[in-house]
Amino acid sequence: MTSSQENDLIQSVDDLHFYLKQAMMIEHATIPPYMTALYSIKPGSNIEAFQIIRSVAVEEMLHLVLAANVYNAVGGDIRNTLSSDEFIPKYPTTLPTGETDFKVGLGKFSPETIDTFLSIERSKEVDEGQPIVGPRPSQNNLLAVRDANPQYSFYSIGLFYAEIIRGLYALYQEMGDDLFCGDPQRQITPEYYYDGAGDIIKVTDLTSAIRALTMIQEQGEGSVIGTIYDAERLLSHYYRFDQLKRGQYYIVDQDNPSNSDQPNQPTGDTFAVDWDAVYPIKENPKLSDYSGEPELHSAAQEFQSAYSDFLTKIEYAFDGHPETLLPAVGGMFKLKYQAERLIKNPIPGRDGMNAAPIYRLD
Amino acid sequence: MNIQVWFRWLYAALWRIFSGGQPIMNLDQSEMKEYFLDFSVALTGFSKFNLLGTGQADLYYSTIEQNIGNELLQELLQTFHNLDLKAKSANDQSILDKGISFDILDSKKFGAIACNIIKLWYVATWYPIPQTGQDSNSQKPFIVSPQAYPEGLLWSAIGVNPPAAKAPGYGTWSEKPSVTLS
Repeated sequence: MTSSQENDLIQSVDDLHFYLKQAMMIEHATIPPYMTALYSIKPGSNIEAFQIIRSVAVEEMLHLVLAANVYNAVGGDIRNTLSSDEFIPKYPTTLPTGETDFKVGLGKFSPETIDTFLSIERSKEVDEGQPIVGPRPSQNNLLAVRDANPQYSFYSIGLFYAEIIRGLYALYQEMGDDLFCGDPQRQITPEYYYDGAGDIIKVTDLTSAIRALTMIQEQGEGSVIGTIYDAERLLSHYYRFDQLKRGQYYIVDQDNPSNSDQPNQPTGDTFAVDWDAVYPIKENPKLSDYSGEPELHSAAQEFQSAYSDFLTKIEYAFDGHPETLLPAVGGMFKLKYQAERLIKNPIPGRDGMNAAPIYRLD
Repeated sequence: MNIQVWFRWLYAALWRIFSGGQPIMNLDQSEMKEYFLDFSVALTGFSKFNLLGTGQADLYYSTIEQNIGNELLQELLQTFHNLDLKAKSANDQSILDKGISFDILDSKKFGAIACNIIKLWYVATWYPIPQTGQDSNSQKPFIVSPQAYPEGLLWSAIGVNPPAAKAPGYGTWSEKPSVTLS
């Protein structure tokens, strides 16, 4: 057995199911931090930053749906996944990839927050045949690499998906089309999704599964290391955030992507980022931060319960009721307005610090 | 200097003379804003959390101040605050309710301004007030900012999203309305 095979993490359909559930957790785990930073921007200011973060958050939702499609296609049981208590991380958290050199938290739009977002979307190339997880000292990981050495972790989300793709190929070799035993009626297809963030992909076989997972990988990091764009010739998430640090847009040449800007050398229009036009919200708030303030407390509780309810509805849509997805996503807009109300309210006695939404109770 | 402005100046000067040289009020801005929020709660029926949640309180405050002047605004807020204190010390909310009705809404001086504050919160629009000395003929109502319009309390009061803003999400038009006419 070669060293790479020793590091193959996905050896069975159960393993595959496990990692696809982790994938849904990873995609979701980025949404509350992106939403919190987004809504901390004062309305009417930082238009460019708002659009950039929003565009990424919308694609993370798409990734969650794509991961669920792959999971359903390989016969996964979605019940008690999004609705489980553990699905929403305790912020600040390490990502379920297992990496611990940075933590993802809930905070206002700031240079430090954008640094974290860049870490989330970072990329690294690993030569074929080399292990894509590395031994790293780890503690408090959401992901203990399944049935394996708990000290292993993935450097990037892209490498995490690379392992899933490798596992899919390997299992397909063994099982053939039996691997894709899921009911196609459970797939979220374009008519059940507002097509604003890249294509939704119906997953029924190996080709479509790989396409879905590759899209997730590339929208985050780009299609080829050393370029700024993904397979759809759109700027990858990493470089979208990088623009905020530089106050300048990258240019992607849609007709001839190789003529696009080089990483770290944007040539597009410049724009101003006003780091002060932001509500000074409490980082990683807990319900106890609002004790003694009945209205804040109950608004935070209402938001949390509406958020859990939202995830439960999404799960129901993934569980063979695709027609319920659009109304559920409509509910997400109400969440936005609830979150904004909290963010605009100072916490009395906290010296100008504002409230922020809570996604998980403990 | 037109005649109304001149009278306001005279009024302030006389007040200073007869009150021992003190300015009319001596509220600092944070106190003023606090009174303004309390007053707005009483006028609109929305809680402080909901009012602050619109993100418009500072903008509305400065809009009023710019249009009626700081002194008149102070006087109005002080009048409200005195009623509020009275009601609290007697533990009798009706003192405040009646006071707002008689001393503010029915008052020649404050009535139009208080109505304007209600309109400001509900429809994010400032309407000209003739009595403040501004030429109401040349001043038209205006929406105080693009961000204020969707935050008007009107929309949450009637349970709908503001037309063309705060969209409830793709495809939600095929759902039943969230409010009924009955």
